[in-house]
Amino acid sequence: MALPADTSQPRFAPGCRWGGSGTERTVLFPEGVINVQGTGRRILEACDGERTFLDIVEELQANFSASDPARIRADVGSFLESLQEKRIVDY
Amino acid sequence: MSSYPMALIAEITHRCPLHCVYCSNPLEMARAESELATADWVRVFLEAAQFGVLHLHLTGGEPLARKDLVELVAAARHAGLYTNLITSGLGLGDDRLQQLVAAGLDHLQLSFQDSREDSANWIAGAKAQSHKIALAHAVRRHKVAFTVNLVVHRQNLDHLEEMIRFIEELGPDRMEIANAQYYGWALANRAALLPTRIQVERAVEIVAAAEKRLSGRIRIDSVVPDYYAQYPKACMGGWGRRLMLIDPEGHALPCHAASVIPGLAFDSVRDHSLRWLWEESIAFRRFRGEDWMPEPCRSCDRREEDFGGCRCQAMLLTGDATATDPTCSKAPARGLIEDILRVGNADSSAIAPPLSMSSFAELERQTQALWTYRVNPK
Repeated sequence: MALPADTSQPRFAPGCRWGGSGTERTVLFPEGVINVQGTGRRILEACDGERTFLDIVEELQANFSASDPARIRADVGSFLESLQEKRIVDY
Repeated sequence: MSSYPMALIAEITHRCPLHCVYCSNPLEMARAESELATADWVRVFLEAAQFGVLHLHLTGGEPLARKDLVELVAAARHAGLYTNLITSGLGLGDDRLQQLVAAGLDHLQLSFQDSREDSANWIAGAKAQSHKIALAHAVRRHKVAFTVNLVVHRQNLDHLEEMIRFIEELGPDRMEIANAQYYGWALANRAALLPTRIQVERAVEIVAAAEKRLSGRIRIDSVVPDYYAQYPKACMGGWGRRLMLIDPEGHALPCHAASVIPGLAFDSVRDHSLRWLWEESIAFRRFRGEDWMPEPCRSCDRREEDFGGCRCQAMLLTGDATATDPTCSKAPARGLIEDILRVGNADSSAIAPPLSMSSFAELERQTQALWTYRVNPK
């Protein structure tokens, strides 16, 4: 598998979901837990299966307008790719 | 000390329709009459979630042997726990699978003993393979995470590649290649299960190639068997650090094998809160921290990584639960492991062919020189 295509719709893989409460959101997946905060959390919260990868990247580029857009795109892509390899996210 | 365990392992029964020779349940098992009631488990799940526990592992024996399993899954999910079902699949038809998923089951882990039907049934001591395959197909039709747990050892490692491809066809999200661990029945049967060095080295290569090939499709988890490793496993993530196990009768244990350690009394959820059991019970405190460590562990750089290895294994192999796990290359008792490996590798031709018998009793008779099949609690 590879980086998400622009039109792909990233979402949690079956059996993967949010857990935890309040400020610390955790991602629960088979026999594991990942704590996500900050940007990672925002990206995952945007992975609702409706928004496309491009939508998500553009949202973040708009919110972090001071940062290099190409860098944001690359970071979001590799973040999602690593979660896909762990079978936490599908796209 | 962590304020609470990350996961609760609910060993809800020791009853099981299979007789796997590698089973790590204790040799002395809980009787059916003494199992916790549904209401007890429901209360434990609520307490666990309030305490901060995130994951629940429903296991056994065979958890499907509990008639109230759907109710238990619903209660756990309602309490906010992530539910993992660790199962052989025996006793799970389409209806019940549907009910489990509807109740909120997050993850189903299905065991396979081999790719080949004759070998799989011989290892399990039951004609289970065709049912497991049918179940794997059924699971794929539901929205639940699906893992296949393949237990590997001397008797099947020679065709690991074939087994991996077989599992691929079943379409799981994850695959665990689980080397048999020597507790309970597996310890009694170790001579028949211990892989040769060549098998282990070849397995490492095969798994690495499969990981690459399946990257993005199937996640593979596997660990080198500890007898062949340089350092011991960080058993359970450390004693009383990440996990709490509740046995069928309600005793709280730091791990499934802890009853082999003499002088440890285990308190029960019938009498105490989970918080008390985690923080105050003698069993959970026994090997926390470093005060109990002998040398070389006490001064070792790795002590916060592997905690000196497994206490139960140290007890079983050396007679001393505080000893450095003998699988560690720095362990004073490492020679014990070397002796076992030497004997095991001297006899690489000891792979026995699968036998199929008309009855379980006949199968036991024919294989009694090879191994002992797991039996049910009385």
